[in-house]
Amino acid sequence: MSEQAFDLVVIGGGPGGYVAAIRAAQLGMKVSVVERAHLGGICLNWGCIPTKALLRSAEVFRLMQHADAFGLSAVSPAFALDKVVARSRAVAAQLQAGVKHLLKKNKVTVVEGHGKLAGKGQVAVEGGSTLSAKHVIIATGARAKVVPGLEPDGELVWTYKEAMTPKVFPKSLIVVGSGAIGIEFASFYQALGCQVTVIEMMDRVLPVEDEEISALARKAFEQQGMKILTSASVKGLKKGKDQVTVSVETGGGTSDITAERVLVAIGVSPNIENIGLEETGVALEKGRIKTDAMMRTNVTGIYAIGDVTAPPWLAHKASHEGVICVEAIAGLNPHPLHPRSIPGCTYAHPQVASVGLTEKMAREAGHEVKVGRFPAMGNGKAIALGETDGLVKTIFDAKSGELLGAHMIGPEVTEMIQGYCIARTLETTEAELMQTVFPHPTVSEMMHEAVLDAWGRAIHF
Amino acid sequence: MNALPRIFASPVARRLAAEKGLDLASLAGSGPHGRIVKADVETAKSKPLSAPTISGQTEAIPNTTLRKTIAKRLTESKQTIPHFYLSVDLDIDQLLDLREKLNQRAEGFKLSVNDFIIKASAKALRQIPAANASWTEDATIRYADVDISVAVAAPGGLVTPIIRKADTKTVAQISAEMKVLAEKAKAGKLMPEDYQGGGFTISNLGMYGIKSFSAIINPPQACILAVGAGEKRPVVKDDALGIATICTVTLSVDHRAVDGVVGAEFLAAFKKLIEDPLGLLL
Repeated sequence: MSEQAFDLVVIGGGPGGYVAAIRAAQLGMKVSVVERAHLGGICLNWGCIPTKALLRSAEVFRLMQHADAFGLSAVSPAFALDKVVARSRAVAAQLQAGVKHLLKKNKVTVVEGHGKLAGKGQVAVEGGSTLSAKHVIIATGARAKVVPGLEPDGELVWTYKEAMTPKVFPKSLIVVGSGAIGIEFASFYQALGCQVTVIEMMDRVLPVEDEEISALARKAFEQQGMKILTSASVKGLKKGKDQVTVSVETGGGTSDITAERVLVAIGVSPNIENIGLEETGVALEKGRIKTDAMMRTNVTGIYAIGDVTAPPWLAHKASHEGVICVEAIAGLNPHPLHPRSIPGCTYAHPQVASVGLTEKMAREAGHEVKVGRFPAMGNGKAIALGETDGLVKTIFDAKSGELLGAHMIGPEVTEMIQGYCIARTLETTEAELMQTVFPHPTVSEMMHEAVLDAWGRAIHF
Repeated sequence: MNALPRIFASPVARRLAAEKGLDLASLAGSGPHGRIVKADVETAKSKPLSAPTISGQTEAIPNTTLRKTIAKRLTESKQTIPHFYLSVDLDIDQLLDLREKLNQRAEGFKLSVNDFIIKASAKALRQIPAANASWTEDATIRYADVDISVAVAAPGGLVTPIIRKADTKTVAQISAEMKVLAEKAKAGKLMPEDYQGGGFTISNLGMYGIKSFSAIINPPQACILAVGAGEKRPVVKDDALGIATICTVTLSVDHRAVDGVVGAEFLAAFKKLIEDPLGLLL
């Protein structure tokens, strides 16, 4: 057993951990990242990135099927599942290599293996060395949540991992959970011709989104042929030969739905086990590591970032927490991350993106609000794209003019939400957004119009 | 052109400040590069739009660190400590007599009334130890030593050097020490050990003819004694009008640590020592 000394050891090389490591290296710290599987974590290898590759294939396929509408012809478009999956894996592999290179460039020592806190300032790597560190960041992330009765088996009952690497394309699929992960897979499989049924416990799909957006999303998905059951819970599951029957309880009673596969996407569980939390006395809250705004746990010298801490469980939130954590360690004065300024994106067709308060939340918080809306139907570029299903909705505080929230569904909205994020960070009022020149013709003009509309000044609708 | 300096503030902060009638220039920004953000305006509700209008020629005297410390500590004291005040008149004719005689015999020193007041305060605190105290959230702290802080006007502001274990020192020793400390204070040469600590403060404005006043407690101490001028006043003695030299002292007390009765007991002990001053020489 050898021992190496570092200023900072990060357990977990996902989008929280590797970003924290690079920032720490920039600040002159001697850093190590301990990673048990793949650099880049779930996000890069089994989450955000490979699903975007799959969804790109689905998008191209969908466009090919609608080639006619664009004056083109594509004779019986088809797909080769193995090639679609291979492309997705290649994209992940390329980025994984990229992260490895970035860490090397920043002189971060990467240690492969399962890292575990082993007393003050010590991280033991399973079957290997012990690293000593002045500071330890826990960035172990999360995994698919498992509930009794719906345990994934890797064959008939899937998690995102199997859904991302199918060997055979199922003719039918039941997706349990309509958060971003469930809806993205539902969208992918439905686009390639699978009959998808989504089962959601809440009364609407994408339940964290604004109610109006949820309703529009549901309508769009149903038009594509997706079946959606809301206020519905899975009561039981019966496996057959190459098929699964799920017993679903809704307000109208219990019914059975049969499909070839079931994808369980009901959230994530933090990876808090076997990393030495009990031994070091790191406090938990609701099963997740409790931290302050600078990501410090209750134990001096131990920090936690990303999915192993409080929600939202998003890669970009983890990365920012990594930077904040490291800068605070270095004695800089980072500004805490405001949960209401973290955007959320769902890359289905249509795309959904949002930041800040929903209309309901804003009203419940006591704001006097001004709400603006602008439909894609009124946007020239959207019509030219042939993507007229969409809406941009803005919510302002009527008095201060602060942009409380923005909610978008439609073409390219995941690329556009950052405009409203910047507006929130800069604390603009409606006036600056109205004064900003949006380029014509772009889908982003919808964002401008939705601001104008909040004050009854929309031009094109 | 008389360009105003640009104030960096977010649009929301500007609008909220205008609504609340806050002057942005009076706010400190907590955002990047000192930018004033919404949170800064929200936490600064109480500040007025503009400073009181000052007409005529003015001079801005930059605040020294000492001035700022005095401002901060006294504001905190007056705002957070529940003060109450006890006043008593002292007949100091005997004390003046004694001082006169001692000074005639003295070689190399000249005792002041204040030296006796320090000594009397120290002896009285030894008798009533409950007044030699400090309030903390968890406990009321009683001091074993009697260390007396004495307010001295220095060029930059008020300082309070300390006569330590004053109850064990003679008036002459106290007098000599006070001279050194006052000179150091006036020259701005006090060391931290000269003024850090202390359990009780004396502030004497008698030499300026002030009849009586109430002082602000010097935290974390619980008591401060404000000493006025000794002056001839008509007094009733044995049912007849007479003349005596009277000095009014006012004790400001932190009610959290010291109750009224303890304050009164201290003043009674103090008055007895001052009015029968030979005891101070023991």
